[in-house]
Amino acid sequence: MLSLGPVMFAAPWVLAALLTLPVLYWLLRVTPPAPKRQDFPVLRLLRGLVAAETTPARTPWWLLLLRVAVAALVIIALARPVWGPGAAPGGEGPLLIVVDDGWAAAPDWPERMAVAVAAIDAAARSGRRVALFPTAPNEAAEPPRPGALLPAEEARSRLAALRPKPWAPDPSAAAAALPAWRAANGLADGAVTVLWVTDSLRHGLPVPLAAPDPLPGAAQPIARPAPPAAAPGPDGFTALASALAATGPLTLARAEDRPIRLLLPPRAEPERLIVRLAQTPATSAAEAVVLARTAEGRTLARAAIPLPAGALGGEVGLDLPLELRNRVVRLDLEGTAGAGGVMLLDERFRRRPVGLIAGDEQGADAALLGDGFWLDRALQPYAELRRGSVEALLSRPLALLILADRPLAEGREQQAVAAWVERGGTLLRFAGPRLAETADALLPVPLRAGERALGSALSWEQPQRLAPFPEGSPFAGLPVPAEVLVERQVLAEPVARLAERTWARLTDGTPLVTAETRGRGRIVLVHVTANAAWSNLPLSGLYVDMMRRVIGLSAGVAGAEGNAALPPLETLDGFGRLGLPPPSAGPVPSNLIATAMPGPRSPPGWYGAAGEGAERRALNLGAGIAPPAAAVLPPGVPVRAVGGVPAEADLGPWLLAAALLLLALDLVVSMGLRGHLALARAAAVLLLLAMPAAAQEGANALATRLAYVLTGDAQVDEVSRQGLFGLSDFVNRRTAAALAEPVGVTPGQDDLAFFPLLYWPILPTAQALDAPAAAAINAYFRLGGIVLFDTRDEGSGEGMSSGARAAVRRVTRDLAVPPLAPIADDHVLRRAFYLLPDMPGRYTGGQVWAAREQDRANDSVSPVILGGHDWAAAWAMDARGQNPYATIPGGARQRILAYRFGTNLVMYALTGNYKGDQVHVPAILERLGN
Amino acid sequence: MVPHATARLPRAEALGARLPPLIVAAERVAATVRAGVHGRRRPGHGDAFWQFRPFAQGDAAARVDWRQSARGDRLFVRETESEAAQTVALWCANDAGMGWRGAPSRPSKRERAELLLLALAALLIRGGERVRMLGAERTLAGRGALERLAQDLDHVAGPPEDPALPRHARIVLFADFWAPLEAWQQRLSALSTRGLRGTLVQVLDPAEETLPYAGRVRFEGLAGEAPELMPRVEGVRAAYAGRVAAHRDGLATLARSNGCTLMTHHTDQPPESALLALWLSLSGEAG
Repeated sequence: MLSLGPVMFAAPWVLAALLTLPVLYWLLRVTPPAPKRQDFPVLRLLRGLVAAETTPARTPWWLLLLRVAVAALVIIALARPVWGPGAAPGGEGPLLIVVDDGWAAAPDWPERMAVAVAAIDAAARSGRRVALFPTAPNEAAEPPRPGALLPAEEARSRLAALRPKPWAPDPSAAAAALPAWRAANGLADGAVTVLWVTDSLRHGLPVPLAAPDPLPGAAQPIARPAPPAAAPGPDGFTALASALAATGPLTLARAEDRPIRLLLPPRAEPERLIVRLAQTPATSAAEAVVLARTAEGRTLARAAIPLPAGALGGEVGLDLPLELRNRVVRLDLEGTAGAGGVMLLDERFRRRPVGLIAGDEQGADAALLGDGFWLDRALQPYAELRRGSVEALLSRPLALLILADRPLAEGREQQAVAAWVERGGTLLRFAGPRLAETADALLPVPLRAGERALGSALSWEQPQRLAPFPEGSPFAGLPVPAEVLVERQVLAEPVARLAERTWARLTDGTPLVTAETRGRGRIVLVHVTANAAWSNLPLSGLYVDMMRRVIGLSAGVAGAEGNAALPPLETLDGFGRLGLPPPSAGPVPSNLIATAMPGPRSPPGWYGAAGEGAERRALNLGAGIAPPAAAVLPPGVPVRAVGGVPAEADLGPWLLAAALLLLALDLVVSMGLRGHLALARAAAVLLLLAMPAAAQEGANALATRLAYVLTGDAQVDEVSRQGLFGLSDFVNRRTAAALAEPVGVTPGQDDLAFFPLLYWPILPTAQALDAPAAAAINAYFRLGGIVLFDTRDEGSGEGMSSGARAAVRRVTRDLAVPPLAPIADDHVLRRAFYLLPDMPGRYTGGQVWAAREQDRANDSVSPVILGGHDWAAAWAMDARGQNPYATIPGGARQRILAYRFGTNLVMYALTGNYKGDQVHVPAILERLGN
Repeated sequence: MVPHATARLPRAEALGARLPPLIVAAERVAATVRAGVHGRRRPGHGDAFWQFRPFAQGDAAARVDWRQSARGDRLFVRETESEAAQTVALWCANDAGMGWRGAPSRPSKRERAELLLLALAALLIRGGERVRMLGAERTLAGRGALERLAQDLDHVAGPPEDPALPRHARIVLFADFWAPLEAWQQRLSALSTRGLRGTLVQVLDPAEETLPYAGRVRFEGLAGEAPELMPRVEGVRAAYAGRVAAHRDGLATLARSNGCTLMTHHTDQPPESALLALWLSLSGEAG
């Protein structure tokens, strides 16, 4: 191997041939050039003329140089030059590639793989063997251990199969596995060259205990995750680094200045969701964008977390009304692939069932009089309201319990409510005559017996207005309407820290709303009634706003508490995509799920019972592991950057191509020199034509062909292509139509005017069309084009592609789709070529829809045909002429019928309602006969 | 073939229209007297008035000029001036070398020669002369003569021979005259012995004189001659120019000895100048 700067030659001895170039130059120089050919009529006078100077004409020096350059290029190309082989570590002996394949490696996984592949390529060139050593436990929950020493090609394919895991690596276990591997392979100290593609994080740190939820709404400084204590002892990273250094020369490859980010569980505030992020410090300021997504993948909100230089994290409020917030199921870090950038939000962040018990059960719902009437009207739009007895209400998960002037009975009832509050429930009580008489223990402040009347006939005091809400109150910031008057209230005993417990007070300073935290829950008391008897507060909009803030405060309901084991439903892979759980994943007790450590047995994702409406709980990476902390790199170890380094490139083919191009140039120039100008031009034109030109547009116009809309899903697009290929083949064999190879198109980019029929498979994730695409499709409809939408979920395929119906609505929102009706028995589509009783594809049964017959626009030819039979899969024919997809329920008959439907469809697209005229044949015959 | 030549007619006519009508000073040769526009200074057939003469016995009554006779007692007969036209015979060489052009921007020698020939014919016909292709069966005059001449131009091929040509007619030959001088001596003497005199127009491509090639060139003839390989064309350019000059001198001598004038025209020159020179040559001969 010979390297010249960044270029290295794999076969350097070939370069010796460069020495022959001067000889070649001399040979070319002494050989006279081929003579020009010239017609001349006065040949007679030229005969026998002898030039005074006899030096023969020479080939021009620049042409000689061109030819020598061609020869030099070919020689250099044969020496197999490689660009950028410096990316591989040197050294002798086998190569051990250690790859951190935890969650932190996912965002720049391709770059990390490029570094590893470059090292393997270098090892392949020098014939060294390679061992792969992923440091994360694998999907089968086996601890990490080094792989066998393999030839480089085999190691490369093993490496290509490696994927980042959605859990943290285990460097300590990896370090422990190293000695056994060295002993098994008989490797002495220093016998192995080691490349560690590391995420340079200290894994296995203890998870900091979640701080108790601070009083929501209270003004508080932006909390940053506390920086981890500086290296208290040998952590996993150091252990593995020293173990590797003992094995042989160690090179580290790490992403410089790319902070590793981890989404932490958000904090719910009324009207807001505080999104939190932890990261390793970065040298420059940046911002991280968080997207709030629904189950269908739509983005409801977007917030940018400012991250100043050196910050270890940040947070930002995601302003979302409760109604919208309840639809958010996941938070995504934009531009970051990886489980660390995904936070799944389960019921705890969403459902807020509210229980309501009024003191006067009979009159509670009387219009304008009962407590229940007012509360119902205020809460109904924002929460799920439940009525019933205390036992009945508390037997199910509840976020908020409202007791409107309802004293709690001593004994079991009071104990049950108190226990519920301790566990995190929020109890909201309204005062009233009953409560004023019999105050119980579940109150935030002790009350004086009896109520205080303001502005009555026997009182000098005037009805009081509301004072502005104190700072730190959850109601802070709500406007205080001037017309709210409190005529009567219950009074709190002046106790210590009464002001701290007061959320709202009147202008004379007496508390109107008090609250106290009990355990993980809290008790809130409104010192007036829930109806308009004591004050006109329920008549104002403030009442509704206050209710909503209290609901926002209440802890979400997290389903049945307890230690029931929840099986995994869907789990995240290393790149943050939801998918089937790995085989090793097992059930997790529901009381541990919020803090469970993600691992092979409990990958992050959804856990719970399958089926509609069942409780689903989220196990999140950010909740179960410590915030990322950068490790201290061992001193004296060479560090190579991941990313930004160009991958190794074999320059040979490029040099050969350049030589070929120069040869072609030489051909043209030589022809020109010999007087074959026309030939030279023709050669130049031919060469240009031989270049791969993008002549697709022209080709589309030259032949009739079917087209399919590219969905972006490579597999679906391939099925579409195979399907239309199979259908074109069938149609070409059975009918006079001659269809060329189908093509994939993108509306708005390709000209659709050449295609009689577009096949459009609708993915459940399909998004609404942008304006150019919608305009292109509408223009296509106007020109008489036909689009076959396929939702692939009809009939026997029901449920195969859930969400496709909604996707059809999204996709066709801006399209001029006429009213559709099921295809009638006498529709032209049923007899354009074959007589068809039904129109199956891969699935059978169900309906196929087309525009109603009475729409005379476009000659009654429907621009849209909509169905869900996955026709492309039924038509699909692979390169060997076989049908790769089975029909459901199956049978050759169904496939034949599918092909016949396709033929009818093509005939319909090509001939319009021509066959429809056959309806009138009897009438015409009758007229002719008479 | 016919459209080929007639297609050039408009251009040739336009070229001819730019010059004053050409009147060939006809030699008074009794054998070729024909009615024409040239006054013969004696009574005869013609349009122009010549004289009145007294009625003589034998004159036809129709010839009496009654208006003149009514002035006196005698009868007068009106006599017109006798007129005669010159016959000009034209010829254009048609060998392979004539079809050559030295550069795509220039016309071939044949094209240029035919253009000049037709332009000259247009002028002559407008002047009332009679024209004829050497070797064709007919002599043409008057309207439409130019088109028929163009047809003859395409049909007639061969050496400049025409036994049917009247003696003392004028001839105009268009060629490159690269053939050996002996061959031309033979042809021209055959013509001059019959009293035919005229003009030789040598139409040349400039490349034939300057030999503008360089380097190693293999020259190939147009008439199937063996090719000639020149290792360095630059080296033989001077010698070639000498040979061309010698050939030209020989040709001029040959023309003079046969009563002809020699003109040289290059295809990169405008055809108008050649036509003017040709006209001057024909008129000057008359003086």
